[in-house]
Amino acid sequence: MPTIDVDLAELEQLLDVQFGGDMEKLDEVLAYVKAEVKARNEKEGSVSIEMKDTNRPDLWSVEGLTRALQGYLNQRKGIKPYVCGKPIVDVNVNADLWNIRPFICCSVVKNIHLQDSTIKGIMHLQDKLDQTHGRNRQKTSIGIYNFDLIKPPVRYTAVEPAEVRFVPLGFEEQMGLDEILERHPKGVEYASIVKKNPLYPMLFDSEGKVLSFPPIINSNDLGKITEESRNLLVEVTGTQHQTVLNTLNLVTLALVDRGGEAYAARVHYPKTPNYAERTVVTPDFGNKRFQLSVSETNRLLGLNLSAEKIVDLLLVAGLEAESAVGDSVTVLVPCYRVDVMHQVDIIEDVAIAYGYNSIEPLWRELPTTGHAKPEQRLIDVARELMVGLGYQETLNTTLTNQENLFQKMNMPLKRTIEVSNPKVATMTCLRNWLLPSLMEFLAANTSVEFPQKIFELGKVTLPDETSETRSKDEDWLCAATTHANANFSEIKSALDFFLGNMGVKWQIKETNHPSFIEGRVGSVIVDGVEVGVVGEVNPLVLLAWKLENPVAAFELNFHTITINKSPK
Amino acid sequence: MVELRAQEQQVLSIIEKSGGTLSVEQLISDLGLSDAAVMRSALTLQEKNLLKIHATTRNIIKLTEEGKTYAKDALPERKLISALAKIGGTANLREIAVRAQLQPQFVQIALGWVIRKKWAIYNPKDNMLTMLNAQVAEGSDEMLLKQLAEGEQTALDDLNEPLKQAAEQLKKRKLATIEPKTSRILQITQQGKKAALEATMAPVEVTQLTPELIITGKWQNVKLQKYNIQAPVAKTFGGKKHPYLQFLDEVRAKLVQLGFEEMTGTQVETAFFNFDALYVPQDHPAREPSDIYYIKEPEFGDVPDEQTLSQVKQTHENGWVTGSTGWGYQYQLQAAKRLILRGHGTCLSARTLQAHTYRVPSKHFSIARVYRPEITDKTHLSEFNQVEGIIIDKTLNLKDLLGVLGKFAMEIAGADKVRFKPDYFPFTEPSVELSAYKEGYGWIEFGGSGIFRPEVTLPLGVVEPVIAWGLGVDRLFMMRAGLEDIRMIFSQDLQWLRSKQVT
Repeated sequence: MPTIDVDLAELEQLLDVQFGGDMEKLDEVLAYVKAEVKARNEKEGSVSIEMKDTNRPDLWSVEGLTRALQGYLNQRKGIKPYVCGKPIVDVNVNADLWNIRPFICCSVVKNIHLQDSTIKGIMHLQDKLDQTHGRNRQKTSIGIYNFDLIKPPVRYTAVEPAEVRFVPLGFEEQMGLDEILERHPKGVEYASIVKKNPLYPMLFDSEGKVLSFPPIINSNDLGKITEESRNLLVEVTGTQHQTVLNTLNLVTLALVDRGGEAYAARVHYPKTPNYAERTVVTPDFGNKRFQLSVSETNRLLGLNLSAEKIVDLLLVAGLEAESAVGDSVTVLVPCYRVDVMHQVDIIEDVAIAYGYNSIEPLWRELPTTGHAKPEQRLIDVARELMVGLGYQETLNTTLTNQENLFQKMNMPLKRTIEVSNPKVATMTCLRNWLLPSLMEFLAANTSVEFPQKIFELGKVTLPDETSETRSKDEDWLCAATTHANANFSEIKSALDFFLGNMGVKWQIKETNHPSFIEGRVGSVIVDGVEVGVVGEVNPLVLLAWKLENPVAAFELNFHTITINKSPK
Repeated sequence: MVELRAQEQQVLSIIEKSGGTLSVEQLISDLGLSDAAVMRSALTLQEKNLLKIHATTRNIIKLTEEGKTYAKDALPERKLISALAKIGGTANLREIAVRAQLQPQFVQIALGWVIRKKWAIYNPKDNMLTMLNAQVAEGSDEMLLKQLAEGEQTALDDLNEPLKQAAEQLKKRKLATIEPKTSRILQITQQGKKAALEATMAPVEVTQLTPELIITGKWQNVKLQKYNIQAPVAKTFGGKKHPYLQFLDEVRAKLVQLGFEEMTGTQVETAFFNFDALYVPQDHPAREPSDIYYIKEPEFGDVPDEQTLSQVKQTHENGWVTGSTGWGYQYQLQAAKRLILRGHGTCLSARTLQAHTYRVPSKHFSIARVYRPEITDKTHLSEFNQVEGIIIDKTLNLKDLLGVLGKFAMEIAGADKVRFKPDYFPFTEPSVELSAYKEGYGWIEFGGSGIFRPEVTLPLGVVEPVIAWGLGVDRLFMMRAGLEDIRMIFSQDLQWLRSKQVT
């Protein structure tokens, strides 16, 4: 979830509310926009605010947050108006970009007076937009330049990596594009986005000066913003036009909120395999229109609101009604509310404006019959029996690793369900049997009083090519006893009690199993099918787990032995 | 009558039989008990004025290794004089030494002692040794040497004067050591004598009631010893259910009682049910490898029928007939087939809706093990359980949403009061977060719920409103169990499991 750092005094000033250090009061206000205080830095006078709604980038700056809250605080109703001047810059797009990074949207913001803190705020927003909304610059990335240093028109093109050299932001010497990808921190971070293609996107002005190497890095000459910068060029490139445009709108509005004046740009696209030649004017501060049904609103909220009341609540929520005819309200949604996709999004805003805590909760007694999953009854019976035998139930993770499952168990490798992106080396695959979990448990308790008797009835996951997910989960049962005299007869006796009480007729057959001692291990056979193993654990295995007492254990495919006993 | 334990009685009667006094050492060897056990009984008896413990310190003489050798072979001077006697009473020292089979280094020592003990005179001029008497009687040092070699413990204080001197001499010659040793003598008192007499007449005391005593009826004639019931005993560890699983059992029982039926599914899931069917776009950050586990091999599974798939695809791309704008991107079939470890239990709800096996109305829940690639710490697990579900009915609205959460808060968390806040889930709108207040615990975020977006239900062919809900059971459990660290849920600390109260 995105988190933004906001200067508390600035927020209080913009909202015209004094919280007096009461973060719960701030939380109450933030709840309207699904945000909450995550941390407070009293020394710097700032708060970290977490946005639960990942689809509301309009909230990721102090200005945006203020804009959204003002309606709920009764300070300004409806949509905040923004104006954009006529196009004053042209952008020419090269056809080669069509399958690389085809879209660009631009604006110019004039007469802005930046302070260090506002530059920080803008950079913060840019960063959040790049990361979350722009999917780590894959989908969109933002560039801001000193417009006074640029000679339009701007050229957005694709180049051979060896063609261009420039000084990237934060460096002093010229570098080649591949050198930037190898040496510049941003180059290293985002190289994978451009390396997919033989040509790299580049942005030049009419004199051939480099603006930036999107989405990697700006030029140090044109792309550096200081407190002295008065006129800015804002540019967003990306792979999806609507998202690129939304992002440009959001950044431009944030600069307008800082006192700048927005001017448009004309973007000229050539003919490409998927589009005709065209010119697009950006940014676009126009409202979107959605039809809201009064009856649908009341149906979804369980309320009986009139169209007038709904119109009032829309204003509180920072939206506006253009017209209301019969059941239908035409709702204007401002350009910065990129999250609105369906009338349900507007209905929720109506409900929030109405107040969740003003709505009477209702619990309906529906004619339904509850029941646990069919296998649960026998799982519970089995757990009771094991507890009755004096075994402590354990709960272990199903994520483990091959060393635990095979090497430490003296077992040959088998195919397991592995993850391709493990976070830690100890959790790389799902377990395919339970005894390693219990051995790990015992290994963690060598200094605890003996005897130790433990069990787990839990899931193992096995490859299964016939299944939809290429795997199957089964409930298995494993029990282990360890103390100075733990042996085969003790565990066989427990197994006999268990299976006898489960109503399972079973036989034992001599077998060889690398995890157990030869001659002290047997297969458990039910209806002619091998369903488990019982025996004394091989000293090689004990040593691998650094255990000094003998361990006797059984493991059963609980699923198989109970499958015909569970009610369907 | 004085109450005595069996061992105390035994001690007392042995002392009485041995004439009223006995050393502890003697008692130990007579009774075959440990020093500690005898002393424990003796101290108890002394407390009851039945006997007195006299501690005496005596100087005990013991042979050194060299002393033991001489005790066996005779002292070097004795060897010398015996050899001289055999030769005839006077002879050259060298000749005698050969006869006596004395090592050269002992010859001078032997000569020195022969002269000192006045057994012979020595003429250094001609190296001749001449006996003073025909026979040399055994000296007191030799007698002591023999006595000590026989193994009897000998105290210096018990010896007569010549032997005492002999002992000092042996010590000087490093053939013996003299060291103080404390020994305890137990002396029975008048009261003790009486008690011992009474004890012999009293019934036999028995510690363990045996089958034999019961069957033969002998138990009626014996006295079953009184136990010290305050004494600590060995610990017993019975089997118990795991506290967290037991808590989940309770939650399950509550939900069943509230009319919910349990859904199950596999831990490996397709991205289709975990994300796509829930209207999570294919480039959503929750699908990044940093947020969801991907299966290494095979990478792809099966997705449902063409129609469902096509409806979900169109909804993502342009909203299809749902009234939504959609996400406006190109949906990839391969991304939907990608196998993952499920990241939430909501995929089970999506499956239930897609399968169309439900009745209307119906209520469903799941207790699902779910996975996220987190580094585990006090507040994060990479594998945990989620309790969530759905309610399907023709008429469901926000009031029901609040009602369901309120009911769970009362029934499952035992909350005193609740409050609601707007919340966000990509698949529900409106969405609500519930905080529950319980005396002693304060406010906890206990659950979230929402009404599935039309972009979720319509492509799956569901026309009824569906409430989706989830409960923060881990936090509730931690609060009830007094845990601060979420890792304790999968704790491998046996001691904790054994001692954890089950209430």
